Amino acid sequence: MGNAELVAMMLADGRLPTGGHTQSGGLEPAVRAGLGADGKQLADVAAYARDRLRTTTRVEAAVAVLTRHIATSSHLSGTKLSPGDENVPKNGPRLSERAATLGPVEAAWAARTPSHVVRGVSRRQGRLLLRLARRVWPDVSAYLPNDGEIARPVVLGVVGAVTGLSAEQVARTIAYDDAQTVISASLKLLPVDPADAATWLAGLHDDIEWLVKDVAPLTRIDEIPADGAPLIDVFAHNHAIERMRLFHA
Amino acid sequence: MPTRIEVVADPVRDRCLLTTDHLSPRQLPGADGVVRVAIVAAGALLLAGDDVRIEIAVSGSVRLEIVETAGTVAYGMRGGSARWDIDIRLTDGASLQWYAEPFVVSADADVTRTTTARLATGCTAHLRESLVLGRHGETGGILRTATRAWLGEDLLLAEDLDLSPETRTGWAVLGTNRCLDTVTTLGFRLPDDPQTLQLEGPGSIARRLVHEQHQSTLNRPASASYAR
Repeated sequence: MGNAELVAMMLADGRLPTGGHTQSGGLEPAVRAGLGADGKQLADVAAYARDRLRTTTRVEAAVAVLTRHIATSSHLSGTKLSPGDENVPKNGPRLSERAATLGPVEAAWAARTPSHVVRGVSRRQGRLLLRLARRVWPDVSAYLPNDGEIARPVVLGVVGAVTGLSAEQVARTIAYDDAQTVISASLKLLPVDPADAATWLAGLHDDIEWLVKDVAPLTRIDEIPADGAPLIDVFAHNHAIERMRLFHA
Repeated sequence: MPTRIEVVADPVRDRCLLTTDHLSPRQLPGADGVVRVAIVAAGALLLAGDDVRIEIAVSGSVRLEIVETAGTVAYGMRGGSARWDIDIRLTDGASLQWYAEPFVVSADADVTRTTTARLATGCTAHLRESLVLGRHGETGGILRTATRAWLGEDLLLAEDLDLSPETRTGWAVLGTNRCLDTVTTLGFRLPDDPQTLQLEGPGSIARRLVHEQHQSTLNRPASASYAR
């Protein structure tokens, strides 16, 4: 398998055909509720992205880290995938057995994601990523069905496991992707200068690395943080019944 | 010693064992199959250093209804802190209804509040938690909450909220709202509603983020939107 660094870059690239352009990370309903109203306080976009990194995105990143950990250690040979150069053996446990090992991590994610709307959004994105991943990195099929609505961090964690990404790279991909989703969506929703947007993103690097440091060492499902963000849930529910919208979520 | 309410269903008369600590539980008249218990503060609450622990254990085919006679105010703590821990265990088909009165966190208070519920399969709980950050006209202090609920062996809900002044005011947690009013059901779902969160397992959260507690439309237990 290729270079893990390049895989991480592909996963974080908005041009990867996984429907990233349809997502605003909840920014659209927040804007509708008044974030950046009248073009004022546009830097609230960056503060919103930071709040997500401290709450819901932290949970998602931890779920991806745990998924990677479980998929890597459920490897039949008992040896961990060495980064970047080893494939999952084809004669490993059957798919159903491997999928069963990931059931508890998806259940832990679901218990920490109280809104069915938010879970639905993640699972639809997970499905898009899965359908792409099974073509690009066929080894994911050893852990996941070929199609199905599976939480996006679980799918991403499996991609990380089969391509040799480190826990840090998996966590960083989730965190960066979420922040970039919010900030690039702001260019379509608010009168934001693209250079300001890039500056906000650079300004979030410390928060992203703090998150990475926090969740990358986790190896037990019950250690997954459970930080909630009630307003994000409220906005997601408002958005789900909104008839005029630019972004899916 | 925790405040404890223990109810065991009994064909002749449901047994009810009440233990007073920071709070004093008192039994009220109730219909058949329903045990009603009022909880009253046994002293000044909630002050720095207070460690309030409330244990609820209900067993058998009986419904416990907890009634609070007044809200709780966590006062300024001048660098100190307090805890408020609720532990609920329901077994053998028991059910619990607890519509808590507002829990008000004053300026300079620092409170950790946890709710842990373990329900055997077939049990149900219907809980209201009404958090208010600051008395009228003040900015409330620090409140951190942790909720964990199991139904049988399965974790049904895990949610931690950091409602500290610096983290709650953004566009993700509370925004400019002062009150977080939540009705949670465990073991059964509330009717579908655009604003109701349906958990993955059997359970729901109905929530209102409002400026003034009385603006919350979750106020009325009789409301058809979530009663029964």
